[in-house]
Amino acid sequence: MSAAKQRQLRRNDYSLDEQQQAVHEAFADFFTAECPSSRVRAAEPLGFDQALWGKVRELGAVSMAVPADRGGDGATLIDLVLVAEQYGRVLAPVPLIEAVAAARLLARLDADAAADFLAATLTGEMLPTLALHQVGHDPRQIVPAGAVARQVLALHGQELVLITAAAPPEHVENMAHASLAWWDLSAQSGDRQVLAAGPRAVEAFAAAVREWKLLTGAALASSGDDAVRLAVDFVSSRTAFGQLVGSFQAVANAIVDAATAVSAARNLTRKAAWFAEYAPHERRELQPMAYLASARAAVQAATTAVHVQGGFGFSVESDVTLHFRRAKGWSVLAGDPSRELFDIAAHLPASFQ
Amino acid sequence: MDFSTVELTDETREFRRDVSEFLDVHLNEAVLETERRTGAGHSQPLHRALASRGWVQPTWPVDEGGAGLDPLQNRILQLELADRDAPMISSGTTRIVVGAVRSYGSPWLKEQVLPAVAAGEVICCLGYTEPDGGSDLAGVRTGAVRDGTGWVINGAKMFTTGAQHCQYCFLVTRTNTEVPKHKGITTFLVPLDRAGIEIRPIETLGGERTNAVFYTDVRIEDDYRLGPVDQGWKVLSGPLSDEHGLQRGDAELDEINGQGAGYRATLDRLFRHALHWALTAGPDGSRPYDEPFVQLRLAEIATDLEIARSTPGAMGRVNGSELLIRDSALLVDLVGPTAVLPHGATGASEDGLFEWGHRYAQGTATYGGTTDIMRNIVAQRVLGLPRPPRFDG
Repeated sequence: MSAAKQRQLRRNDYSLDEQQQAVHEAFADFFTAECPSSRVRAAEPLGFDQALWGKVRELGAVSMAVPADRGGDGATLIDLVLVAEQYGRVLAPVPLIEAVAAARLLARLDADAAADFLAATLTGEMLPTLALHQVGHDPRQIVPAGAVARQVLALHGQELVLITAAAPPEHVENMAHASLAWWDLSAQSGDRQVLAAGPRAVEAFAAAVREWKLLTGAALASSGDDAVRLAVDFVSSRTAFGQLVGSFQAVANAIVDAATAVSAARNLTRKAAWFAEYAPHERRELQPMAYLASARAAVQAATTAVHVQGGFGFSVESDVTLHFRRAKGWSVLAGDPSRELFDIAAHLPASFQ
Repeated sequence: MDFSTVELTDETREFRRDVSEFLDVHLNEAVLETERRTGAGHSQPLHRALASRGWVQPTWPVDEGGAGLDPLQNRILQLELADRDAPMISSGTTRIVVGAVRSYGSPWLKEQVLPAVAAGEVICCLGYTEPDGGSDLAGVRTGAVRDGTGWVINGAKMFTTGAQHCQYCFLVTRTNTEVPKHKGITTFLVPLDRAGIEIRPIETLGGERTNAVFYTDVRIEDDYRLGPVDQGWKVLSGPLSDEHGLQRGDAELDEINGQGAGYRATLDRLFRHALHWALTAGPDGSRPYDEPFVQLRLAEIATDLEIARSTPGAMGRVNGSELLIRDSALLVDLVGPTAVLPHGATGASEDGLFEWGHRYAQGTATYGGTTDIMRNIVAQRVLGLPRPPRFDG
């Protein structure tokens, strides 16, 4: 190998700095205190707790996501990932990730109308969400937070539009008990305003979807982490054949593998957030990798937790079923996570050659 | 959190160039070819050359035989050695032993060993595993018995990699059979030129040579003992933790996947070569990478690499090894029959790298403690899961 092929030397520091640690702890404390599993269950099937959402907003979880020069508090994507982790850990029934992704999308646009909408979003008068798929032949689409939002940002051809309904459409039942609704995003639908057009609109929308995936990945990894915790608690206190269930290697190894997948997914998501924030044109495969790893880890952790809890894990009384429902119910919304592989493949030659 | 590019000072850039030029000369094709042929895991000519620059123990002070490198310089040196596939197995085992000698060796032993290690004159191997037991280190049966002021050793060790070229073996012995097995162990640094030591080669699937070492009435002085009698487990827990990657430095350049880093680096090398293969146009102008299936496969493996890199501690050891085992097999499938042709064979893809990689990968699940043991460590020490009942006290 020739000396010419020397690689770039990068730091490899995953640790949180003081300020990041403070964000982590503040939101961990908040969600732990405010959102026990009973509150998650109480909000089902709509998946929305108005009072909790008010508190989340008061804590600044939406405004922090918007750049300071657009009226927000200018947090980094790393901070937002840390918040999303804690939201995902408790499965909070609030449209946090949708509101954050939509607000940041509005902040990225030049149109005066976008600025007005952003201002209304920051005051809480308006709750916009995001239609994750480009509007195609079928104008109907399942929209996350679509059952609690009156505004949806969508990409129609090369036009980025904001569609406003008089009231949110009817909630559609779903495995995750998420606030999903069918929206008609056709050109004829309701109040429709074009906020941007052309390649810049397309790119702004793509960036918003990337951020939705980054934050959803963070939430999924932490959901998986909590599922592992519940699995460990259960097998550490229950006995079978005269010994603790968790002392059987067949059981322990399955939990170890789930915990390993979750741990890697969380670290990879944080790393992807760092690159998205500070080096957005480098290592672009990291974001789809992080999302893929998180989606898979969450499902692995939830299915493992259900399994090692045995009959109890399969009964709705067990909180691992809450994680099980969201692991798949959240990660399927933006399309098959394995399709991220195409996006990863597109970036590999640039990153490794 | 920080993944930024390290801005090199002129001095560091100069150091990097120096390392590169040095290795162009001393880590040459002859060294690599010898390693491929013998699987020794060590090149004495390269080792002596490194020693001449203080780069055998590069972070030691100059007056102790090191080069006083700072963490960044050391990182540059280690990366450069790894990227060029330098045979460094015995350097790695020596580093583990040096820690034990520093902590537990008598002043005389330290004086005997440490300067000679830095000078490249002494390298050390590990005498842990026995014919009857692999990962159960506490169950050792090789005995050391008091004889006047010294000791007499009898027994056998397996997989003592590097014994044929090392001067010392870090030997784990049983000195007390009357107490629970963890409490009757004593460790020694045994000079391998003593009478009664027989070294027999063992060839491995991965091409590395290792050894069975037989100890028959081997006499050593008490000065070669490391740590108190019967308290070898304490001595071992340092190097063992080191080998298991449970400890890590806090340098911002370090891998968080300590023990798995080497295996991840091997997978990284296989992947880069596979990508090179996939992006190379054939006679008809098309590239394997034009096919969606090839893209998906390589994207999966690239993702595994990042997963392995982001997995800490003992978990990382499991991932580093098992992802390498899985993906090295998938890469053979992807590349096809030319991937099972070895180095030197007509038409071997990437000069036989995939053929080697798939074989080599299998040993990584065992080196330094099996991945099964690692899972137990994660279960009990990381997750706090209950221990299985013991059957032997």
